[in-house]
Amino acid sequence: MNIEFIMEVEQRAAALERLDYFEVLRLPQTAGADEVKAAYYRESRTYHPDRYAALPSPQLRDLIARIYRRINEAYTVLRDDAKRQRYLADVTGPERERKLRFTEAEESAVKEEQKRKLEEQYGRTPNGRKLYAAALKDADGKRWDAAERSLKAALMYEPENAKFKELLAQVQKSKPRVDPYKIR
Amino acid sequence: MSDDIAVGIDLGTSYSCVAAALDGAPQVIPNEWGEHTHASVVSFLADGAVLVGNGAKKNIITNAENTVYSAKRLIGRFFFADEVKKAQAVMPYQIVEGPNNSVRVRVGKRDFAIPEISALVLKEMKAVAETALGRDVRKAVVTCPAYFNDNQRQATRDAGRIAGLEVLRIINEPTAAALAYGFGKDINQKICIYDLGGGTFDVSILEIGKDVFEVLATAGDTYLGGDDFDDRIMTWLAEDFLRKHQLDLRQNKFCLQMLKEASERAKIDVGREGAAQILVPGICQTPEGEVLELRESLAAEQFNRMVMDLVQRTFKVCDEALQSARFTASDIDAVILVGGPTRLPIIRNSVRHYFQREPMTGIDPDEVVALGASIQASALLDAGAAASGQASYLLDVTPLTLRVGTVGGFTERIIDKNTPIPIEKSKTFTTSRDGQERVKIRVYQGESNRADGCEMLGEFEFTGFRIAYRGEVQIQVTFEIDPNGIVNVSATDVETGQRASTTINLSSGLSEQDIRTAIDKNAEMALSGHAA
Repeated sequence: MNIEFIMEVEQRAAALERLDYFEVLRLPQTAGADEVKAAYYRESRTYHPDRYAALPSPQLRDLIARIYRRINEAYTVLRDDAKRQRYLADVTGPERERKLRFTEAEESAVKEEQKRKLEEQYGRTPNGRKLYAAALKDADGKRWDAAERSLKAALMYEPENAKFKELLAQVQKSKPRVDPYKIR
Repeated sequence: MSDDIAVGIDLGTSYSCVAAALDGAPQVIPNEWGEHTHASVVSFLADGAVLVGNGAKKNIITNAENTVYSAKRLIGRFFFADEVKKAQAVMPYQIVEGPNNSVRVRVGKRDFAIPEISALVLKEMKAVAETALGRDVRKAVVTCPAYFNDNQRQATRDAGRIAGLEVLRIINEPTAAALAYGFGKDINQKICIYDLGGGTFDVSILEIGKDVFEVLATAGDTYLGGDDFDDRIMTWLAEDFLRKHQLDLRQNKFCLQMLKEASERAKIDVGREGAAQILVPGICQTPEGEVLELRESLAAEQFNRMVMDLVQRTFKVCDEALQSARFTASDIDAVILVGGPTRLPIIRNSVRHYFQREPMTGIDPDEVVALGASIQASALLDAGAAASGQASYLLDVTPLTLRVGTVGGFTERIIDKNTPIPIEKSKTFTTSRDGQERVKIRVYQGESNRADGCEMLGEFEFTGFRIAYRGEVQIQVTFEIDPNGIVNVSATDVETGQRASTTINLSSGLSEQDIRTAIDKNAEMALSGHAA
């Protein structure tokens, strides 16, 4: 074990609380999934505690263990697309200092965000979502009457939903015009 | 190269095995009779000595009450667990309740904790290695099923300590097997380890790059193993016998043991020869004194039908592991079979069918885990390996979600399953009453939102923080999972940064004091068949 490595470990451990996950894995913020994995393997080769299990100094082993736990933490967040997006926004934002670690608050925020996206895409209420999904399918299959019915029902659950209204207008426009009073 | 030595021990439900990497080449250490695997059976003899291994297995019948086997099924469990109830019904030895809902085995007048029993198996492995190598062995890597929870891992580590071993690391059996196959030499590969042991089933999906073994996902069933296959044959034999002679062989523990042995042999014969002839002369007597024999024959198709649902259960677990790793069966480059029961043609054929490829069986499935453990053991000892960069690194994961209990019997996730370890995560708790002096949290492992659907690891109590109005004191609790997969909990007062003291109130494990006592007692017990 050379002295340079010991110094590097000490510096890294001391700086740990100031590093974001990209810095922990020595990655640019633009790195792709492959690069994240490669960086994780590279850092594991350097800091895996197994390499140092036979070291006599428990203090040094402790520092290495601390660094390695952070490497694992960084990898868990950066390999997950949803968490990574949120994290990137956090550390490039004004509150960077406070948000270097991805905590329970961020995790629940990610969940909230996913839920919101789902709502934006498909509606706020379970019934609304179900009916909207059915309407989309019917519209695809050009079953205009069925689609119109589903959308009208969906609008009863969510009268303000712009997405529903938009699709309804589309469906009603594409529906072949039939004069209700004409006797065929 | 240090002159120290460390062995790898596969502590199995039915059989155990010890290996060492000598001059860089891992090899299984046989005992004096050339046996490579040793029954995990502990028999307490009348003269106070203890017989462990294949010799002890015969005593399951002749000295049933004083012979303990399949202890691994009980390790790290609470007394109220279903597995313990089941064991009480079928095991000829006495299972009693110890302090804190723990499990004890009563032999004669003494109660043994389960780690003490496992320690005797480990002690035998240690003795086998010492005899063969002609030197003291003090350090070991011990394996456990990947799906073992924290209680079970701690108990396994305690067993090592009680046996007088420094346990360098607890590693997962499937991961050890991957290590033994020595991938990681060339390009990235995705492999699946299908590990069906005597009492547990594990699947691990690994991605292997240059000298890095990354576990992507682990799934398992700690209630499924080769023993369950024996059980099926046993039930069939017993039901048939009941119909013919109106006698239930399962009522008598002596008959039950003979039946069990015959079932295991039949399973092996069916696997090897495609059919089994079962003959147990004098298995029991009618009330009129007529001696009856058990005679049956079992064909492969009949056996396959009996165990089909068990085999299918293993593939449900495979589905789950693949899904966690975000793969499909066709993404897998290689499948490794581990564990004695994977010799059965029905398993091999089903695995081949599921993965659409020939499974790898180059290394004896009974020995591969111990071999892998010995590779890890020598790597952990060798400080030079790091410098020369020759070692392989295991990047393992935690198999179960770590949770804390919340109000109303619910739980909240802290660390997700399949998160790489070692890892730490913090959560902040506040006091809920004015002047509160202590905060208690219960820690669980499992996949259910509800506490009763998870396994409790323990109740932690924190004291020694500031006394203030409710909500003013914030206690940051840090949960750490170490490289052994063992959970450590600590707490600090957020404002003062002072470490709160932690006590564990409920736990299935042994206290430090218990372990010390057990070490002394273990040292006193002589192993039969070994010079002291």
